[in-house]
Amino acid sequence: MVFLAEGGIGALGINLPSLIAQLINFTLLLLILGWAFKRFLFPLLDERRNRIREGLDAADESKRRLAETETATAAEMEKARGEGQGLIGQAQQMSARIQEEAQGAARAEAETLLERARSEIQLERDAAIADLRREFADLTITAAERVIRRSLDRKAHRELIEEVLAEAPQGGEGGDNQR
Amino acid sequence: MRLSRGRLTAVGLVVLALLGFVFLRGPTPAISIKAETIQSFGPVDVTNTMLTSWIVVIIIVAIVYLGTRRRDLVPRGFQNMFEAALEAFYNLVVSVAGEKSGRRFFPVVATIFFFVLVSNWLSLFPVFNVIGLVREDDHGFVMEQTDVGPLPLSWVALSGPGNLSADSIDEDDADAEEQAAAARKDGKIVGELIPLFRGPNTDLNTPLSLAIVSAIAVESWAIASLGIGYGKKFFNFGGMFRGLRRLDFGLLFRGVIDAFVGFLELVSELVRLISFTFRLFGNMFAGEVLILMFTFLTPLVFTIVFYGLELFVGIIQAFIFAVLTLVFGMMAVAHGEAHAAEGEHEEGSRAMAPEAQS
Repeated sequence: MVFLAEGGIGALGINLPSLIAQLINFTLLLLILGWAFKRFLFPLLDERRNRIREGLDAADESKRRLAETETATAAEMEKARGEGQGLIGQAQQMSARIQEEAQGAARAEAETLLERARSEIQLERDAAIADLRREFADLTITAAERVIRRSLDRKAHRELIEEVLAEAPQGGEGGDNQR
Repeated sequence: MRLSRGRLTAVGLVVLALLGFVFLRGPTPAISIKAETIQSFGPVDVTNTMLTSWIVVIIIVAIVYLGTRRRDLVPRGFQNMFEAALEAFYNLVVSVAGEKSGRRFFPVVATIFFFVLVSNWLSLFPVFNVIGLVREDDHGFVMEQTDVGPLPLSWVALSGPGNLSADSIDEDDADAEEQAAAARKDGKIVGELIPLFRGPNTDLNTPLSLAIVSAIAVESWAIASLGIGYGKKFFNFGGMFRGLRRLDFGLLFRGVIDAFVGFLELVSELVRLISFTFRLFGNMFAGEVLILMFTFLTPLVFTIVFYGLELFVGIIQAFIFAVLTLVFGMMAVAHGEAHAAEGEHEEGSRAMAPEAQS
């Protein structure tokens, strides 16, 4: 072992037993750390990496789904908006129609009422005219009684007056003349 | 006159440096390139560097145990710190060597890195090189002594204004024996201090053993990747023999050049061992000497700068050693792959040639 002798490189402190001891020392550490890395570190790193990858994939998937959902929602909204517009149009048409129908019905009813009112007015007028005739006949009789100072058969006179009045022209045709 | 905080600090540091220079100067440090033997067991000398390297191994194993004890998927506390450091280094290795090779190289590269790093940084603790055993001699430090129970305790006395350096007797002094006798007469003890702890990388055996492990790892990776054919990198005589057989001077010349290149590769492997060893040893030994000398010259304040420098050098040297191992491993594997591709190309050319001739 001239190489490692005291006078040669051994003067620098290199000696075989120390070298072997350091080699064994370091190899031991290497074996322990190698075992620990393979047993604990690498599986942990792999698992963590897988988890992170899964998480990122899930995030991407969520993003994709969100985008799809947003697109679908937008389409649905657009469709609903279209349908809504259609419904509003229909409702407006229907309301216009109903309004027209209601107006027509009201107008018809008003006409009916007006007609009925006219008829009633006519009837009332006829009745009034009849009352007026009767009153007039009574007054005439009363006046005639007073003039001739004797009582006449009221019933006979009334029939006589009615007959005269019936022969006289009707209120609508010759009302102005009678007055 | 009001002094600013900066000036006060500067004045305080100067005062501290002066106090250290007057009262804390030790004896001239004895610097030994060889690691000091603490105890011999037959042919095996247990040196202080060996003892320190055992402590380094124990510290690293304890750190790995504490760091891998819980193995939570979401790490916290020490596990977090441990995994962050390891993962950063792992990512570096993988970024250089790729996932597959990186995982194969990582245990060796990481072990080298952390062993060198812990060794270098541990040796900056103040107990290094100052606490140890005393071997009585006619030269060395002149120490006070007392008995603490059954154990004798010796120490170097503090310096003072009258004596700006602790006493020591130089080996080359003509009257060393007389000085030693006089000191012993005063109840003092004369001898060399054999530090219990010394940075492992300041002993050539440690860097050399690391370099040997690194070289074995590199070659084994190459052989595992390329098989026995990897040997052609160093012993490439095929072209030379083909040239001789065919009596083709051009082929023979190329073969001789190939064989010479193989020889150079072999030499470069050995040179790599030496450069690995002496780079680490030189840097760490120089750092230790630097700190020892500055502790002797100015025990306080100025030494701190060199501690900072050594922290940096410690991690850089660990990194260089580990990354060079990684790069050489990559080169060895890549070299073989290139050769394999070249071989395939040659086979392809040979197969094409007869077709062309026909």
